Amino acid sequence: MGAQKKGATRFSEDPEELARVPLQAILLADSFTTKFRPITLDRPKVLLPLVNVPMINYTLAWLESAGVEEVIVFCCAHSKQVINYLESSEWFSHPNFSVTTIESHNSISAGDALRLIYERNVIQGDFVLISGDTVSNMSLTQVLKEHKERKKKDSNAIMTMIIKRSKSSPIIHQSRLGTDELFMAIDPNTKQLLYYEDKADYSKGAICLDKLLLADNPTISLHNDKQDCYIDICSPEVLSLFTDNFDYQHLRRHFVKGLLVDDIMGYKVFTHEIHSNYAARIDNFRSYDSISKDIIQRWTYPFVPDVKFFGNSATKLERQGMYRASDIVQSRSAEIGSFTVIGNGTRIGNNAKISNSVVGEGCTIGSNVSIEGSYIWDNVIIEDGCKLMHSIVCDGVVIKSGAVLEPGVVLSFKVIIGQQFVVPPYSKVSLFQQPTKQDSDEELEYADNSSGIVENSSMADTVDKSNGQFTSELLDEECGPTYELGTGGVGYIWSICEGSHEEEWRHSIAPIPADKLAEAMQTTDDDLELLTQDGSVLPPSGELKPDSNYSDDNEDPRDVSIYFEKEVEATFLRAVHENIKEDHVILEVNSLRLSYNKLFTDCAGAIFYSLMKLALETPHSSPSELCNSTMDVITKWKKLLKSYLTDIDEQIEVIQKFEEICLESAKEFSPLFSKILFHLYDKDLIQEDAILKWDDEKKYADEADKVFVKQSEKFIQWLREAPEEDDDEEDEEE
Amino acid sequence: MPDVQVLVNDFINKLRKRKIEGSQATSRQTAELLRSVISQTRVPYTNQAGALIDAVRAVGEQLIAANPVELAVGNIVRRVLHIIREEDLSLATAAVAGLGLSSVSDDEDDSERDNHPVLSAAVVAAAARSTLRPPSLQTLLEDVPDSGAVPHTSSSGGDSEGKSKSADKSSRSRKLKHDVIEALNELIQDITTCHELIAEQAVEHIHQNEVILTLGSSRTVLEFLCAAKEKKRSFRVFVAEGAPRYQGHLLAKDLVTRGLQTTLITDSAVFAMISRVNMVIVGAHAVMANGGVIAPVGLNMVALAAQRHAVPFVVLAGSHKLCPLYPHNPEVLLNELRSPSELLDFGEFSDCMDFGTGTASPLLHVVNPTFDYVPPKLVSLFITDTGGHNPSYVYRLIADYYSADDLVVQRRPPTAS
Amino acid sequence: MWWRSASFILDHRLQEDPPNDIASSSKEPDTLSKLSPPQTHSSFMAAADPFNPIPNPKISAYYQTRAAHTAVVTSDWLAQAQAAVGHHPDDSPAPQTQLLASPSASGKSFCVINEFNNWRKQPDLAEAVAAIRALAAVIRASEATTMMELEIELKKASDSLKSWDTTSISLTAGCDLFMRYVTRTSALEYEDFNSARSRLIERAEKFGEISCKARRIIAMLSQDFIFDGCTILVHGFSRVVLEVLKTAAQNKKLFRVFCTEGRPDRTGLRFSNELAKLDVPVKLLIDSAVAYTMDEVDMVFVGADGVVESGGIINMMGTYQIALVAHSMNKPVYVAAESYKFARLYPLDQKDMAPALRPIDFGVPIPSKVEVERSARDYTPPQYLTLLFTDLGVLTPSVVSDELIQLYL
Repeated sequence: MGAQKKGATRFSEDPEELARVPLQAILLADSFTTKFRPITLDRPKVLLPLVNVPMINYTLAWLESAGVEEVIVFCCAHSKQVINYLESSEWFSHPNFSVTTIESHNSISAGDALRLIYERNVIQGDFVLISGDTVSNMSLTQVLKEHKERKKKDSNAIMTMIIKRSKSSPIIHQSRLGTDELFMAIDPNTKQLLYYEDKADYSKGAICLDKLLLADNPTISLHNDKQDCYIDICSPEVLSLFTDNFDYQHLRRHFVKGLLVDDIMGYKVFTHEIHSNYAARIDNFRSYDSISKDIIQRWTYPFVPDVKFFGNSATKLERQGMYRASDIVQSRSAEIGSFTVIGNGTRIGNNAKISNSVVGEGCTIGSNVSIEGSYIWDNVIIEDGCKLMHSIVCDGVVIKSGAVLEPGVVLSFKVIIGQQFVVPPYSKVSLFQQPTKQDSDEELEYADNSSGIVENSSMADTVDKSNGQFTSELLDEECGPTYELGTGGVGYIWSICEGSHEEEWRHSIAPIPADKLAEAMQTTDDDLELLTQDGSVLPPSGELKPDSNYSDDNEDPRDVSIYFEKEVEATFLRAVHENIKEDHVILEVNSLRLSYNKLFTDCAGAIFYSLMKLALETPHSSPSELCNSTMDVITKWKKLLKSYLTDIDEQIEVIQKFEEICLESAKEFSPLFSKILFHLYDKDLIQEDAILKWDDEKKYADEADKVFVKQSEKFIQWLREAPEEDDDEEDEEE
Repeated sequence: MPDVQVLVNDFINKLRKRKIEGSQATSRQTAELLRSVISQTRVPYTNQAGALIDAVRAVGEQLIAANPVELAVGNIVRRVLHIIREEDLSLATAAVAGLGLSSVSDDEDDSERDNHPVLSAAVVAAAARSTLRPPSLQTLLEDVPDSGAVPHTSSSGGDSEGKSKSADKSSRSRKLKHDVIEALNELIQDITTCHELIAEQAVEHIHQNEVILTLGSSRTVLEFLCAAKEKKRSFRVFVAEGAPRYQGHLLAKDLVTRGLQTTLITDSAVFAMISRVNMVIVGAHAVMANGGVIAPVGLNMVALAAQRHAVPFVVLAGSHKLCPLYPHNPEVLLNELRSPSELLDFGEFSDCMDFGTGTASPLLHVVNPTFDYVPPKLVSLFITDTGGHNPSYVYRLIADYYSADDLVVQRRPPTAS
Repeated sequence: MWWRSASFILDHRLQEDPPNDIASSSKEPDTLSKLSPPQTHSSFMAAADPFNPIPNPKISAYYQTRAAHTAVVTSDWLAQAQAAVGHHPDDSPAPQTQLLASPSASGKSFCVINEFNNWRKQPDLAEAVAAIRALAAVIRASEATTMMELEIELKKASDSLKSWDTTSISLTAGCDLFMRYVTRTSALEYEDFNSARSRLIERAEKFGEISCKARRIIAMLSQDFIFDGCTILVHGFSRVVLEVLKTAAQNKKLFRVFCTEGRPDRTGLRFSNELAKLDVPVKLLIDSAVAYTMDEVDMVFVGADGVVESGGIINMMGTYQIALVAHSMNKPVYVAAESYKFARLYPLDQKDMAPALRPIDFGVPIPSKVEVERSARDYTPPQYLTLLFTDLGVLTPSVVSDELIQLYL
């Protein structure tokens, strides 16, 4: 009878609704990740108990109640276990709900799985793509209808993603499910998904959208409060797509993003947001915690412990969300707090305190044990005086008297913790010394890292995470046995190296410690500052400038000035070719000056530079010609230049600019320096004081800089004794 | 019988999924299911009643376990058992009438009876075992057979025991099943028509220019009010919306379409309005043996308000809602907590339920019970398809509909789950 | 009207010493049965006073004279009258032994009482059962040859029994039940004497079995109502209630019990001892602390000496006020009582019930002028009771009268 024993959402549609085309679902009974190590080393993730019921039952029960008629379960890691379980669980013997399994040993990612399924071609029509660790009670009627209609209209609409609103914490940039903050750009009208970023990095404090997005959709709503439920309604094309580009591994990181970036095929992904219903995927220990609590709080109704939606033992809901199975041996002095689930045949000793926890079947809990926020699976023995805080304890574990589990501890199967031993926070304890290589999770890690698309920050941490794991495994190898789990303890502590420690507190079931929060808070503040200062250099209109190098130029003032010069030059040349009046040019340059908030000196330099450039560009054979042409240009634009050379600093600026030009951009000028300088003086664009001042400044400079000073030595000399010489000359002339 | 088993499983599945809305539908389907079960059971030559009863019980236990909150299932199962006993009984009496009442035959009857009860006494509910009525003081001493001459049920009940033991008239063997199915059809008929039967009495209760208050939506209430309306009564109806499912809105809509003067109010406004109300008429989920009512959530408040202003609080309930059990701790055991999403949007409050940051224990709890327990002293009148009854009279009705030993047997499932 | 006078008489009687009371009250029934006006009572009393120093022979003599007159009603009222002086059954080994010791003239009544006491010796065999067993023994012993004779003998026996220990209503009710059966059962009509007689004996035995099971049934019925973590207030010592709690403890129910002290005979202490043996957490309260603790209490469990037609109960002194407090605080009051405690009484107020008097030791000498309320029982009206757990099933108070009517009318 087991198979029938499951509830369904009130919203679940009547079967005949879907009777027309048999609705299929692909259920990936393997999370291609290593998040649940070391537990997943000896049991597949989908069979791990979630509130005392193996996860996959939630998924199957939901699919069944949502009107799915055929489910293809893809088993990879521990495929035998999964298949055996399903066979024993009578899911197979269910009328009008067929469950078939596909077994594979060499698939290392969702991509491979789908490719394999495609080869089998078992999929006829649209299908639901879901992994075996998803809990939901949503109705598929609506979304299926939408999907089909879209497909009719536009054959490229091949996929509909289910999303749900869920604020992610602003402090640590991760959702309540422990996944990274997710950015989605969605067309508010068509609900088309335009941008998907789940690995945004916060160092820059900016996310970049492609300008084209704006080009072809007028409005984009950018969300960071949406949660990806990892429930997809797919058209058969999806499978073929996976086969076509064989490098697709990860459903989101490769497939979805791939679709979004390539506009050749023009495939579209759409989203469907659910409101009142529940849907979430268990991705890591934190989401395991959160979702368990949601189930206990009945968000997943009717998939709750006291409704026998699957062959789970009869459980009674008592006041304040205490779920107690029928026969529990409990001492009178034991305190069972609210929102706890106690499994069948568990015995609880005197003065034991249990709160916000799930205790499986056949456990023995000694006296004076305190358990808080922990998940204890079946047949666990906890001796007197133990203290468990926010930890996961797998089947058959024995915790000797007085042992303490710090927050975030994970004890894998059949581990024994010795007396009085304190398991350090976030440590994972397993009988396994080192992960077995044929575990499909293993290769995936490589697949993960080799995937170039992820941004370097996340790249970095995945890498060092894996490194961390390897180092730790290595550690175990040589000094594993020396790890003592107290007297009579059995098992190895997988040490966490610093690199991955970050991840540990993010993803463990323990609440995030205050200090971490404080840190995170700090960093976010910094991000904010960064953001604001960037914001200031953005043009007031605030619309995102498309080309990215522009925003890069903003980075340091130096580049800005270059950019400014370019602008000025452009205006000037325009003026030259379209011979615009100088006044207008001046006007424009001034406006530029304001918008780049520059000084007049900068303008002067810029304009002079452009003059010189112009002169340089005018064809010339000999330096003398160049000289003349320069003369002409200067004389021609005298007025313009003059207007910026009102005071001495600007004139010095110009001289220095000139030096610069001679040294760097246009060597041709270097011989003519003194001439042109004299010319400038002659056209009294530059006062002699300026020249003298420049000379004085140069006095103490090193030889290299003095080149031009020397060159124009005579001229300066002449300037100095100008007055009398003048007279002399006059005399001579007379 | 595999096909029946399929039916049963299917129905159980439905129950689990909470797919069958309303106790009327539930009870009707239950009855139909049991009918098919009975028709499938092949009865042995002797003591066929026993065979049928066992068959029905076997199924009944599963059904009750499937959704312990839906009491109608259990009620119908018990009704059916009761029917079987009655039919068996009537046949037996007929048989007794058949054979002449010679003292001799009686004597040997007695002798055989006398040893029978002694062993039956060993079983639970004392002497009440073989009678249809609940055990009474009489049955304490007078063991069934002696009152053979006294014309009341218990006597013949004993006879039937005696008779059905002694192999007799093959004519009875298939007749019993036939009769039972007949009776079941009547039962189903009653369940389907109970609305009309209740509605017929509307005129006696609703008078001109009265103001009626109801909460939530109940088909029975709708029919009742409309019946009064058709009888040219003009009155006004206040409908409390019945949060969080707001079925009151639907009811208001229906009432208006039937041309009734309707006012929609919030649940919290009930007390404010009650002083203008002449009568409160509500539906029930189940009526317990002590006259208490398991009703949609919010009704207890209405009942209290009504009591405060001495407004009669009338409960409409088809006889299939009469539950022979006594409520113990009803707020918890006979209640069902639905999904919190009916109250608030998960996304809206997801940050309140972020267990990662801040405290690990959820600070925000949402409780969404489906039912209220209205104690008998707050109920002024029950209107069932058999007429109006006082809460203290309910046990009598139950005595008519159910036989005592079924309670004893069936009591286990509801409490266990 | 008459009941008022009765109460008046009783009040009047309080000043007098036990023996007279017995005598006087032993007169009461027949007068009542004749529906004679109150005045005659007093006259009877007066008449009775001189020649009856010790109760038992007096009674037997009384029955020899009054053999002809037998009706349930009278014996009921006899019981009531006798109640005025009797001792509380639960805590009266003394009278019992004294009675056994006391030599008596009339062999029949003596043997009945002996028989009764022998049965009664058996652990947790209710008096009612004992009584019926005793009556059965009477039938066996009797050399009556006609139904009528037998009935008369039984009547005598039962009346003597009732009159012997009248405070226990269950005893009375038990006897009535059996007598009722004997007199009424129409089955007897068409049979020869011997078969009828054997039938009676057989039934009596069976009744024994039945009522032995009564407690088990009650305990079983009441289990659903005891939920984990509940607090139960218990008043007085009731074997049924004890049985109920025992079963609950065996079913691993988690509950705690508040026991009232139960002055003056401290039945509460005994009860709390029993519970402590079962290691049920138990707390003793002085009787006056009931209202103080009521808010912690989830339900009140009481036994009953007798369940009267109104559905109310007669139980140890203090039950009424506990029920009142519980009712005012909306806590359920559950009564556990075997069905043979259903008695055909319809008390309309407390005084209407003949109080079972009992010496109360205040520890200090009470000045003779000071009057002492010595009644051992009070009457709790049905509206303060939630449910009764009986071997007939769980009943609302209103059902009780139905049952009685069905039986006696």
